[in-house]
Amino acid sequence: MQTLSYWEALNHALDAEMASDEAVIVLGEDVGLYGGTYRVTEGLYAKYGERRVLDTPISEGSFTGLAVGAAMTGLRPVVEIMTINFALLALDALINMAAKIPFMSGGQFTMPLTVRMPGGVAHQLGAQHSQRLEHTLMNVAGLRIVVPATPQDAYWQLRQAIRADDCVIVLEHEVLNFDKGPVDEAASAPPPHRAVVRRPGRDLTLISYSRMANQALAAAGQLAAEGIEAEVIDLRSLSPIDWDTCAASVRKTGHLLIAEEDSRFAGAGAELAAGLTERCFRSLRAAPLRVAALDLPNAYNKRLEEHTIPQPADIVAAAHALVRDDAEEIVA
Amino acid sequence: MNKTPVTLPLLSDTMQTGRLARWLKQPGDPIKTGDVLAEVESDKAVMEVEAYADGYLAGPLAPTDTYIPVQSTIAWITDVPASESAAAPPPAAAAPATPTPTAAPTPAAAPQTPAATTPPTPAPASPTPAAAPAAVAPPAAADAPSPVVAAALAVGSDDAGASPFARGLATELGIDLTQLTAGADGRIGAAQVLAAALGPQFPHLELGPIHSIERPSPIKAAMAENMARSEHTPTFHVTAAIDLAPLHDAAHAHHESLSLLLARACALSIHEHPDFNACWTPRGLARRERIDVAIAVDTPDGLITPVLRNALRPLDELNEDWRELKGKLQNRRLKPEDYSGATFYLSNLGTFPVVEQFDAIVPLGAASILAVSAAGPDGLTRLTLSCDHRVVAGADAARFLTTLSQHLSAVEALQQ
Repeated sequence: MQTLSYWEALNHALDAEMASDEAVIVLGEDVGLYGGTYRVTEGLYAKYGERRVLDTPISEGSFTGLAVGAAMTGLRPVVEIMTINFALLALDALINMAAKIPFMSGGQFTMPLTVRMPGGVAHQLGAQHSQRLEHTLMNVAGLRIVVPATPQDAYWQLRQAIRADDCVIVLEHEVLNFDKGPVDEAASAPPPHRAVVRRPGRDLTLISYSRMANQALAAAGQLAAEGIEAEVIDLRSLSPIDWDTCAASVRKTGHLLIAEEDSRFAGAGAELAAGLTERCFRSLRAAPLRVAALDLPNAYNKRLEEHTIPQPADIVAAAHALVRDDAEEIVA
Repeated sequence: MNKTPVTLPLLSDTMQTGRLARWLKQPGDPIKTGDVLAEVESDKAVMEVEAYADGYLAGPLAPTDTYIPVQSTIAWITDVPASESAAAPPPAAAAPATPTPTAAPTPAAAPQTPAATTPPTPAPASPTPAAAPAAVAPPAAADAPSPVVAAALAVGSDDAGASPFARGLATELGIDLTQLTAGADGRIGAAQVLAAALGPQFPHLELGPIHSIERPSPIKAAMAENMARSEHTPTFHVTAAIDLAPLHDAAHAHHESLSLLLARACALSIHEHPDFNACWTPRGLARRERIDVAIAVDTPDGLITPVLRNALRPLDELNEDWRELKGKLQNRRLKPEDYSGATFYLSNLGTFPVVEQFDAIVPLGAASILAVSAAGPDGLTRLTLSCDHRVVAGADAARFLTTLSQHLSAVEALQQ
């Protein structure tokens, strides 16, 4: 099995889908001649030509709208929004068109559109270039959202997104781009929305996604050294959410801790806390706890930036607070 | 009148709080610039607080031996002596400026109503309870949670009662949650439910002869419940052999109740050994300000324990109370307040000559119970003290019994 970086895995996925299906086209700013700001489309222009790899002007609303139309006429476009921060300009195409056309046409039009958005809190890019928008996108019925945390998932989930007949947002994380990991291109992929237990545990369920899932795994390692066994779940998909995997874990541990890079208020963590409280109320030994980014625009200053989003130590501290009461209870 | 604040100095880069070791000047003392006013322990050393102005020291002085944030006002220097300044009303700011240990963490308490309290600020900035306390640098900031964790914990779960899991277990196990005592955190958890489920075991009667169930009287049910709850009291017993014949004869001669004399002797002894009037609680030792001795009485309804309140009083007053209690007992008019809440118990089986010695169970709420048997063949009576070992130790019990035997032999004093 080969070892690939996250961006290479995405590149391989695009290459494989373009090779197998001529309907797959790629469009966005600098995706052609330049090979993509994050190198994800590197080599595709030379291989598949300018008819299938389209360099567009800086016009997110226009080229995303163009891709919606292309998807309606039978192509399978893959849009690269250079960073998620510019997706706001394309929200009309995404929310009013891509998400609703299959519904409003009574299923006569499918929407085999994939929209890639590298995002997340990168290092010192300031409030406008370093943000998370999953809470905005999650609230749109008709969009599917995958959040790969590993190169293997990046490979699998991008391929699955391109093959899907629904509009799928692939939320990549800029900080993960150079993370390396094993990628088995021949292995059969789990369903794109299936959550995965990255580390089994008995004391608390620690749910996270994207880069924070890796941070959660690091925190679980520290907790294990103290004898607290956290079960780490990588959600992999924010819409739909794999409730079965999450609920089974919460029923086992009785404690729910959610770690997210997005802000607390009305975010993915809020949905997880509510959804799992509804499903697992009788199994909960304490109220769910969320560690999330502060409800602030992201800071440029490095120390402030680090203090704004959860670090592994924060996840550890929150886990202590969550299971402490219970430990006392059992001693008492 | 001019007032200059004296603040807790910042003595090192890492110092966030200091502890006032002692004040070297008192309010009203004349002060010259450079005078040493107090000694402060920083996180590294003991340093002196010097005056930066001439005048007179004025209060309120910050307390010693508590941790105070640096730059807090710890006293004032006034330009007129204290006697004159005392006449003037203190400025309103003086009181809140005086640091107290409870005042320091208040920034953290603020986010109890996160979003609602700050409507004028821009929307994205309003629910940021954690950002504000971080800037204030509360004491013990080294242990303070990060802003992210503080935000996670700010909401918290403040509802007491049972956790959902505990509720589910209780439903399935048929445990009445209202009968359970909360854990140390104020919540009923699975542990409490399981303890209740595993605690008292009830007999399986299916394999025995046919039976009928007789519902217990409320008194019997209460007694059974109390005794079962006492099961986890770590108990020891100490027995004394005392010649009670003189007391017995005197009581007989004066038509006095021996139990009442014993109760009074117990009260006098408890007065000298106040630990025997305490009881163990999860939060600490509950010390009571009055000695209330209950005397166990055998009734057709079951064991009942009328309480002599303030048993230190003269014997005739106790006699009066006791007669009233016995009247209520005979008419079944005894109320819970008549038979509950004793701080010490007395159980006298001396009227049964076959009982040479016995142990009584320490009821909840007491540290001890005295079991009095009939005189043995040697003429001595065995008095057995059962004690909660969390409250008193064996030697305490021995000392108590020694005192008790002295009171029991001082017959005339007891009868007063």
